[in-house]
Amino acid sequence: MMANKVVRTFYFAIPVLMVGYLLSVFALAGYMKSRPFVEKLGYIPTVNTMKVMAGDHKQFMGANLLLKVLFYYGGLAEKAENKLRIPADYPAMSRTMHAALKLDPYNMDGYYFAQAILTWDLGKAALANEFLEYGMKYRDWDWYLPFYAGFNYAYFLKDHDNAARHYRRAAELSGQALFMNLAGRYMRESGRTDMAIAYLDAMAKGARQESIRKVLNTRKAAFIEARKIELARDAYREKHGRLPGSVEDLLAGRYLKQAPQDPYGGRFYLAADGNVASTSGFSFAGAGK
Amino acid sequence: MHAIDITNLDKVFRGKKGARVEALQSLSLQVGQGEIFGFLGPNGAGKSTTIKILMGLIRATAGSARIMGEGVATCAARREVGYLPENPSFYDYLTAEEYLRFVGKSFDMQAGLIARKSDEILRLLELWEARKRPIRGYSKGMVQRLGLAQALIHDPQVYILDEPMSGLDPIGRALVKEVIRDLKLRGKTIFFSTHITADVEAVCDRVGVISKGKLQVVDQVANILQRGVEGYMVQVTHPGGRSEDRFVEKEDLQGFIERSVAAHLAIERIEPKGKDMEAFFLEIVANR
Amino acid sequence: MFNIVAISLRAIFRDRVFHGILVVASVFLIIPSISSLSMRQVTELSITLSLSLLSFILLLLSISLGATTIWKDIERRYTYSVLSLPFERSTYIIGKFLAVALFLLLTTLVLGTVACLVVWLSSSIYPSERPIVWSNLVICIIFDALKYIILVSYAFLFSTVSTSFFLPIFGTISIYFAGNATQQVYDYINSPVSSSLPLFIKKGAVVLYYLLPNFSAFDLNINAIYGIALPVKAVVLPSAYFCIYTMLLMALATIVYCRREMK
Repeated sequence: MMANKVVRTFYFAIPVLMVGYLLSVFALAGYMKSRPFVEKLGYIPTVNTMKVMAGDHKQFMGANLLLKVLFYYGGLAEKAENKLRIPADYPAMSRTMHAALKLDPYNMDGYYFAQAILTWDLGKAALANEFLEYGMKYRDWDWYLPFYAGFNYAYFLKDHDNAARHYRRAAELSGQALFMNLAGRYMRESGRTDMAIAYLDAMAKGARQESIRKVLNTRKAAFIEARKIELARDAYREKHGRLPGSVEDLLAGRYLKQAPQDPYGGRFYLAADGNVASTSGFSFAGAGK
Repeated sequence: MHAIDITNLDKVFRGKKGARVEALQSLSLQVGQGEIFGFLGPNGAGKSTTIKILMGLIRATAGSARIMGEGVATCAARREVGYLPENPSFYDYLTAEEYLRFVGKSFDMQAGLIARKSDEILRLLELWEARKRPIRGYSKGMVQRLGLAQALIHDPQVYILDEPMSGLDPIGRALVKEVIRDLKLRGKTIFFSTHITADVEAVCDRVGVISKGKLQVVDQVANILQRGVEGYMVQVTHPGGRSEDRFVEKEDLQGFIERSVAAHLAIERIEPKGKDMEAFFLEIVANR
Repeated sequence: MFNIVAISLRAIFRDRVFHGILVVASVFLIIPSISSLSMRQVTELSITLSLSLLSFILLLLSISLGATTIWKDIERRYTYSVLSLPFERSTYIIGKFLAVALFLLLTTLVLGTVACLVVWLSSSIYPSERPIVWSNLVICIIFDALKYIILVSYAFLFSTVSTSFFLPIFGTISIYFAGNATQQVYDYINSPVSSSLPLFIKKGAVVLYYLLPNFSAFDLNINAIYGIALPVKAVVLPSAYFCIYTMLLMALATIVYCRREMK
């Protein structure tokens, strides 16, 4: 008798608990999704602690950290497409990558990703080069690392000697002369944009990750637009003997067939020295500001 | 050569906090070949300790023991013995058949011989139906019978059985007694421990009573029973058909029978009256 | 000896732990799809994941089997019936150990083959820039097994002294972590960073370094994943170390077990 009563109470309780469970599990999922990146990553112990604890799982833990960063970044890139802008927590991503590369200094994903986000988005080309030069000690067969480093020295840091040194190394390792050419070309101002397009093209072709490729292609598209403006600007100067005042002048003079579109949502303009720039600074982060 | 020869065996267990427990005190005992020896004692008297020393599971603190002339705790000694542990348990993921094969191989028996003996013994101990089921699903009585089976398979000279009747129903007990009597007929030596006096009366030639680690008495079962007799209850029938029970003094039995025959009384039944094995056992245990 | 090995192997195969591990091993099936998440090193990631999963499964096996085999026989009172059979206790304990070691090797063989298939599959879908050095991968997998066999012999040693399963299980887990850390700690002690540490701590750490197993020596993951050249010494020295270390531990375990009283 007693037992039956208890069982009947449970028959009643279970649907109520099920409804409660559904409510709570969705609320929980929503909260977990909205947490900032640092929280999503969870507590990362110091690299040395991880190294001691990981045993023969160091490479796995490194890859795991990188995948976390990648998912986070991939998610943001997708949101950006829908014009929903959340400022990315770049420092936390950078710290995580650093930890991952300490655990597995051979992991190419780490260097690739460091190069992809540290340079334009974060404006820390020097830091990216630190990563790359650390990696070259381990991945001594890989031409990508000196190729990236060479580009960073040339394009961002304007350090010609180091750029040439790295491009030469990349050429040696890969057996391709292209990098030597690149090294020469960036000396001209117009060459900078070409070099960036070539670099982004190489990056994007090597990218297996859809979200990363999208990011790179977006940037490449921006540079192609910028290159069009540069060409129009040069044509204008040829004809008038002076720089155009604005992008609108180029449109009015039919040097540009249609208004250039910044895929980052910014507006192209001509700087005082005639360089093509955008209010977005070629990053979503910049466009948001 | 004795089948089992125990000389001045001492065993001291070190309990917690360094307490000394004297489980055995200079125990000496000989069991002859072909003898059935009952090792009788209350719980905790030292029966299992003695048996474990014989099987080399624990070491004696002092003294020595031999089985068929081989010092205990050697493979050679164990090779001569079929051992049934107290409340035995066997690898329960195996079937009875597999376990017997394992035991047989351990005694270096030929595969064909193992198969033949195993079939025979499984049938004898009524485990035939269950032989292909894992031991995990066996009842307590079945495990006990399997314990006897694995002691029998290699047909040793000496059997050491620790509480062989425990966990068995009356049918099982009868079966085990039957097996023991059969072994006796084949000239085997059996040393078994028990705390049930009726078992000793039923099958043993000799009995040793152990209490508090000391061997108190060793004697022929027949002697003990004979000594305990104080008189007889005799049932006689008168020529008219009326029957009557009479108590006859121990010394007077012969005379009574002669008188009865002379008086044309028919003697139907003579029943010894007096202390039985249980009373004997209780007396010894209580006295010390 | 063979009899004990056979019976113990049968115990492992009929154990539920073994079936649980088979379920865990099914994770191998999703490795190719996880690996494809990598940006630049799908094959490398598939090797990383396969090696980690294999190592994890072997760890579970060596702790669950190594620490419970001896203990279970005592706990369930199988020892009375088994040790009274005519073989030496040393035969019993070494037979048991060989069964567990053999089972680990068998698991390694099967799961290692699965791992190689997974890697091959990943590399055929997304060819890698770095060629896979299969010999490195195979040696790395074998060394994984050797490492866990050392761990099993520790588990056996702990089982022979202990009456409960706490010491075998937690002792073995501690040895696992300690064995992985010794090289790191030793390197740290020998680096200038550690100059502020008291001398006795340094000395103690060095003593421990030579006593505890050095599992880092059996970690050839880098060579397997990134195809980095494997020096002969890196294979020969750990192999010799494995043989001697294991035999030493098992000799100790046997001595302790032979002296033990089966109350």
